[in-house]
Amino acid sequence: MIAELASSPLDGPLVMRLLVIFVSAAVTENILLTRFLGMCPFLSISRQMRSAFGMGLAVVFVTTCTVVINWALYAYVLKPLEPYGLPAESLKLILFIVVIAAFVQFMEMAIERISIRLYFALGIFLPLITVNCAILGASLFMVTHVSGRQFGGWDALLYGFGAGVGWFIAIMLLAGVRSRIKEDSVPAALRGPGITLIVAGIMAMAFVIFQGMIKL
Amino acid sequence: MKQTPRDKAILERMAPGVLCAEGFLGDDPRDLSEIIAADTAAVEAAGLTHEQIARSLAAAMKTAMAELGRPAAISEHVAAVWREGMGRIPSPWTGDGVFPKGELGLTDTRTGRTLTLTPLSVHLIAAHGFYQGRGSRYRLEPHDIIAMFELT
Amino acid sequence: MVQPLQPWLIVLLAAGISCAVTTVLAALLIVAERYMVNYGTCTIDVNDGARQLEIDGGDTLLGSLKTEGIFIPSACGGRGTCSYCKVKVLEGGGALLPTEEPLLTAEEIADDLRVSCQIKVRNDLKILIPEELFAVRQYRGVVERISDLTYDIKELRIRLIEPDTLTFVGGQYIQLEAPAYGDNPEPVYRAYSMSNPPSDDQAVETIVRLVPGGICTTWVFQHLSEGDEVTLNGPYGDFRLSDSNREMIWIAGGSGMSPFWSMIRYMAEADIERKTTYFFGAVQRRDLFLLDELTELARKLPWFEFIPALSAPGEHDAWTGQTGLITEIVDRHISDGRELEGYLCGSAGMIEAAHDLLRTKGLTDDRVFYDKFN
Repeated sequence: MIAELASSPLDGPLVMRLLVIFVSAAVTENILLTRFLGMCPFLSISRQMRSAFGMGLAVVFVTTCTVVINWALYAYVLKPLEPYGLPAESLKLILFIVVIAAFVQFMEMAIERISIRLYFALGIFLPLITVNCAILGASLFMVTHVSGRQFGGWDALLYGFGAGVGWFIAIMLLAGVRSRIKEDSVPAALRGPGITLIVAGIMAMAFVIFQGMIKL
Repeated sequence: MKQTPRDKAILERMAPGVLCAEGFLGDDPRDLSEIIAADTAAVEAAGLTHEQIARSLAAAMKTAMAELGRPAAISEHVAAVWREGMGRIPSPWTGDGVFPKGELGLTDTRTGRTLTLTPLSVHLIAAHGFYQGRGSRYRLEPHDIIAMFELT
Repeated sequence: MVQPLQPWLIVLLAAGISCAVTTVLAALLIVAERYMVNYGTCTIDVNDGARQLEIDGGDTLLGSLKTEGIFIPSACGGRGTCSYCKVKVLEGGGALLPTEEPLLTAEEIADDLRVSCQIKVRNDLKILIPEELFAVRQYRGVVERISDLTYDIKELRIRLIEPDTLTFVGGQYIQLEAPAYGDNPEPVYRAYSMSNPPSDDQAVETIVRLVPGGICTTWVFQHLSEGDEVTLNGPYGDFRLSDSNREMIWIAGGSGMSPFWSMIRYMAEADIERKTTYFFGAVQRRDLFLLDELTELARKLPWFEFIPALSAPGEHDAWTGQTGLITEIVDRHISDGRELEGYLCGSAGMIEAAHDLLRTKGLTDDRVFYDKFN
């Protein structure tokens, strides 16, 4: 345990440590292409770059905020009570979902009030996000990092941001590829979802290369 | 699968009672993209494009509308009647604009087969390859249009 | 090392934490809703101080105005499909919304027009609306009579209950509300020209032609019966007799009869002896209606001529009147139209064809009138 911690890339200076967390969350542990979470909007909202951009931004924002809130909930409430026999592992699933749902509701209200333009550009994607498993996934993976070692609020922030950016990169890549595919040249049976899944699979294989680079 | 807000808005406007009493999808069990894909395949199999089909329909519509309800001959074996209506109807695709109400009845005098369509029908075929859902009043089968206008 | 708690205490603790978190979140949401969705009282300045409305913000502009008794014409009932409810917003409208863009042309955007069912009242507003809209009210009425004029045209007479009087000018229209029925989930509003003369101000009469698949006409034809209560609002529109004394050409088809049936009876009652020729076009004999009434009026009024025409009379119609397209009939009757005024009502295609013809006869566009709602 101690030996593993000693060799962890998290031991460097703070900036280095945060950078490592960010890159690892965004690239090596890309929530979409290595974990296959959030596939549903990934496939259906990647037809146009513009929609993909809006959805991606919304995911970045919500993931960052909910990971931090859920980190606080876990680190300050659930984990300290675990020694008393509290089933933190089961409870976190329920509570994280509630937090995400409430946060999305709150954001929808706030954005409509603050910027009606932004509300229409991004707000319409917000309700879809409540049920995006990538968001919940980011919070749950964050917990697996907290349980083994010190993982502070800044770490959680960078982790959540990284996970969101990873999802954003993936959907933008897919939308870019899809907008360049000439549907005519695809065999009829593979048009639409078929070719999209193949593209996503090839992208996932490409991301496997990053796997060995950093290990949290 | 989740839909984009735009797809959702289009489907909402196609529902019965939103833009017209019966809606645009009839009792077709397929979803919108399947309907469009199947009709597109049928049109392509005939070596045609949606634009070519829409052009024939639009020409017939123009000829018949100018007759203000009087029966018109489109070709040797196609008779047309324009039944006027008051008002205009918007397209389910927002931003497409509005189209005059009223309908065109086309009859193939050799076979007695009929087609019923509206100015909006022609637009939906040209712009979206959408021939409406089966069971809808204005559903058009691509091969029926092709047969009537002898497009192949 | 701490001791694990009793199992029942753990259950209680887990439940307590879940409840506490949910309660805190719910409380936060309620507080947020109270403060963020509440826009306080907003003032809407209509027509440069003509009316000052104090309303609770948060509703759409269309809805807020309706609550204050100002009715903007809207066919879809505020669902953002018909784009009729455009209003000029001079101040406080904020940025154009993506839901409005497809409904407005570039000139309309430059002219500060906004779709009033899409924008919310979030702050003080200054708006400009046509003066006539101040007179528009919502009416409750009861269907006194539905009768068949032809196989697909009905005449509808609604006696007003509350308010019981509607002051209007011949040629104006009302919007009839078709309530939710069958598959139709929400009320829609459709415009119908009034066919009764303005002196008959305790009722609304209109002529309705069945539109296949039409939400409102299907309701009128299949669901509405005498004695039913209905809701309508009006009067709208600036289609009316001009102030000049020029000779008039009226051209109509189908339910386009409505405004002229109102106008001619008004002119007969008020002894407005202004030379008028009324061309009414139909396809067959079965599409004609009010023939006897109008022929009788033409016989009594020396300044009024009624010319019905059939474009394709049937074999059994025994038609001895004019035959041809209505535009062809008008073409035959008028040689020089430079001193005439043209009034048109009918389908979009008929209006376009008739307008084109009148242009060739020398009628300038400012002397040709028709309803914009079509």
